[in-house]
Amino acid sequence: MADRCTETATRPHGDRDSRMGADRAVGLGSPAEPRWRSAARPRAGTPRGRAAGRARSRLVAGAGLLVALAVAAVLVPWLGGLDERLVDYTAVRLPPSVAHPFGTDAQGRDLLLRGFAGLQVSLLVAAACAVVSTLLGALFGAASGVLGGWPDRLLMRVVDTVNAVPHLLLGIVIVALYRGSVLAVIASIALTHWTGVARIVRSEVLSLRERTFVDAAISGGASRWRVLRRHLLPAIVPQAALSTVLLLPHAVWHETALSFLGLGLPPHLASIGNILGEGRAAVLLGSWWIVTFPALLLVASALAVAGIAAWWRDRALPRRRSELGL
Amino acid sequence: MTPRTREIGLLVARRLVFAVPVLAVVAAGVFLLAAASPFDPVYQYYGVDVFTATEADLAATRERLGLDDGVFEQLGRWLSGVLSGDLGTSRAFRQPVAQVVAERLPWTLLLVSAGLAVAVGLALVAGTIAAWRQGGLFDRTVTAAGHAMEGIPPFVLALVAIAVFALGLAWLPVAGLTDAGAALSLGQVARHLVLPALVLGVSQTPWLVLHIRGSLLGALGEDHVTGARARGLSERTVVLRHALPTALLPFVTLLGTRIPELVTGAVLVETVFSWPGIAEAVVTAALAVDFPMLAALSVLATAAVLVGSLLADVAVAIADPRVVADG
Amino acid sequence: MTDTLVVDGLSVRFRLGARGRAGTVRAVTNASFTLRPGRLLALVGESGCGKSVLAAAITGLLPANAEVAGGVELDGRDLLDAPESVLRAVRGSRVGLVPQSAATHLTPVRRVGSQLVETVRALRPTDPDPRATVHRLAGDVGLPAEMLDRYPHELSGGTAQRVGLAAALAGDPPVLLADEPTAGLDRLLVDRSVDLLAGMADRGHAVLLITHDLRAARRVATDVAVMYASRIVEIGPAEQVFSDPWHPYTAGLLGALPDRGFTPVPGHPPELTALPAGCGFGLRRPDLHTCVPDPVLVWSGVRAVACEPVKAS
Repeated sequence: MADRCTETATRPHGDRDSRMGADRAVGLGSPAEPRWRSAARPRAGTPRGRAAGRARSRLVAGAGLLVALAVAAVLVPWLGGLDERLVDYTAVRLPPSVAHPFGTDAQGRDLLLRGFAGLQVSLLVAAACAVVSTLLGALFGAASGVLGGWPDRLLMRVVDTVNAVPHLLLGIVIVALYRGSVLAVIASIALTHWTGVARIVRSEVLSLRERTFVDAAISGGASRWRVLRRHLLPAIVPQAALSTVLLLPHAVWHETALSFLGLGLPPHLASIGNILGEGRAAVLLGSWWIVTFPALLLVASALAVAGIAAWWRDRALPRRRSELGL
Repeated sequence: MTPRTREIGLLVARRLVFAVPVLAVVAAGVFLLAAASPFDPVYQYYGVDVFTATEADLAATRERLGLDDGVFEQLGRWLSGVLSGDLGTSRAFRQPVAQVVAERLPWTLLLVSAGLAVAVGLALVAGTIAAWRQGGLFDRTVTAAGHAMEGIPPFVLALVAIAVFALGLAWLPVAGLTDAGAALSLGQVARHLVLPALVLGVSQTPWLVLHIRGSLLGALGEDHVTGARARGLSERTVVLRHALPTALLPFVTLLGTRIPELVTGAVLVETVFSWPGIAEAVVTAALAVDFPMLAALSVLATAAVLVGSLLADVAVAIADPRVVADG
Repeated sequence: MTDTLVVDGLSVRFRLGARGRAGTVRAVTNASFTLRPGRLLALVGESGCGKSVLAAAITGLLPANAEVAGGVELDGRDLLDAPESVLRAVRGSRVGLVPQSAATHLTPVRRVGSQLVETVRALRPTDPDPRATVHRLAGDVGLPAEMLDRYPHELSGGTAQRVGLAAALAGDPPVLLADEPTAGLDRLLVDRSVDLLAGMADRGHAVLLITHDLRAARRVATDVAVMYASRIVEIGPAEQVFSDPWHPYTAGLLGALPDRGFTPVPGHPPELTALPAGCGFGLRRPDLHTCVPDPVLVWSGVRAVACEPVKAS
């Protein structure tokens, strides 16, 4: 190795870290902070632009939108004063105007009022479905986890089988055989969407069973029921609540599809799906507004709920993301 | 036969064996639902004539069709019918169920294949570019659009597409397989396939794009990509021939798990476009409470899901030498 | 081949968490050394003291949260601040990297041979027969030809290592960086691997061997640099440093060798997120060494040591 000492001494000091030369002579000295620069290079997959802060703004936008929609869904029909079911054959299929901001449908009904009334129905029905689905799934999953052994395996096979049937198809079959009531629609959605919740609750129960404190409690004389209440419920409830919120967009989607096909809610309880279904013929006659505005309401509410749910999911329970897969 | 081929063969065999009880359970489920249904099955048989039929006729028909027998007897009869190729008669279509299925299934397969091709094509291109320039304008647009469109049902897209392309611009036909009264020809079918296939494809794209993008971003952070870069390969080679192949492996499996959504999409798209496929038959059968048709279609749809999932797993086993094919 | 790689006061740190709020990892502090053709510099130290980061810094493959200071020059041309296009031209053709655990640095769904051919094609565009070149490279590193049809996960540790070396040599780069090529191999394979690298040095390449295996380093190194807690604490010709270590850490490492006493250095190196003042060894063995606040390498002839008074060479 050449004599590095002489090399360095004769090299001119550039704007490099001049500490090298100076301190070499002295041997000690207070460190001048070197000139740091980023080593990042533009490569495929390296992020450009800030990602931070975007998650929060999504939540705010989502929550704000949902609140606005919910308030509108309640207020607009009420403030409108008019019955959105009012049929007026002199105002059939009018394009949007000042008097009818969303236009009118094939029976002369104002679409703004009808749209929000329909949204109200859609959201209520979806909420009911989500709750029933969660309860069903939670019970199923808890039972499966608590029982263990072959009942557990059997129940999980049932879950796999239900999952193998396309949701809408099963829903259609159920509704076809029980047609005519809101209950049928709720049942059809609930009976097809409980499997995700069941899986999550079951895995939560299983992981709790592994924990020694459960065994300790049981051997200490606590009844199974008490263990269930004190330890299982606090773990399951937040998961279940999150599942309910995450199910809402799916329930709305499913109910809308059924109603669109004419298999869903009865016409006097019109939801967005019914409106879209009825509007289908009108579109062919050129009245584009009859489907556009209800569809916009639908998409907006789905986005809003999805945004909130996504934020909650990422914040509260990051490890469950893969399992939820809803 | 190489050991690998044998492994894959065993996987297929195992899955097929597992499929049989699942299908049987689904059939049983449908029969049970029907048994608890408030609809009297004899009405399905008679249709509107039920009001003019005499009591004796109704009773005789019930006897003949065995509608008073227990659920499991009916199920057993149906299952043995399936094994001999007789799936019952569809009232809504006035034809044997098997014939309806045979006539309509090919059209659905055509639509679904075309739609899937559109979806995969779009998603691959958009997802790759989005991951390549992560955080850039294209990526942010694609991600936002993907999330936004996940909530849009296919029939909304279909109606918008019809309004814009078929009615507004009059570029493409509105519905059906052929123009009214026209003979069945390749050109006719192709023209009528465009819009439904595009709508079905676009409706499945959002989820696919987001997954490809995520998968590719993950792959780009892995050691083997760094190794490829360290060897001095161009960025294009690194992304397309090292990162993308590994990123597509989980994607193929996930595609298999999305068959249910594809079936659902087909049901909605076929209905709006009056495409004469098997999925549209579901809706017709449901509206008419045509039980033999519903039972057959439920089992068929489940079979499709199982087969799709199996195909995806086989594809992964073939493509990825690391995977152990154990079903 | 007259290229020299000069590393001058290189420091590397990583910012953890968003905007560095979760802390900073100082992986390399003020490292300086030179790689010359025909010489093999062994960079030794215990695991976790930042050695592998050096290789990544030289080839411009640090992650996005890394920051650098100082300079790296190849034949007078700056590398550290060079744009990606320059770095891409340098990687593989002028600086070859043999990565740690070579099998995971190869794409799992493609055969090894295909990846080697691809590399040769990219780095030697005028080569009329890349396949033949690959076979020749395989022969050079002692890789059996039938291994070329295997997938990376099917290779044994030693075989994968050779593939890594063959890939690094594909562009015949004057500078070779070998990052822990001996990890996970048994002694015989270790000896064979480092002998291969020594052979490369004999052929005129400038070789950097990063390893925590002092025995292997002693076997082939012409020069050695000792790293502790992100700093180089001693550097010089291998013969001199190994026979007469100036820094107590070097002496400690040597003492851990089977033929020198088999006494490992007690304690652990400090965490790179909380580096102590000085070289850090004083906290670990206060009886042997007292640190100075800001240690720099002090030269005496061809050897240098940090944090210790220089002895007569």
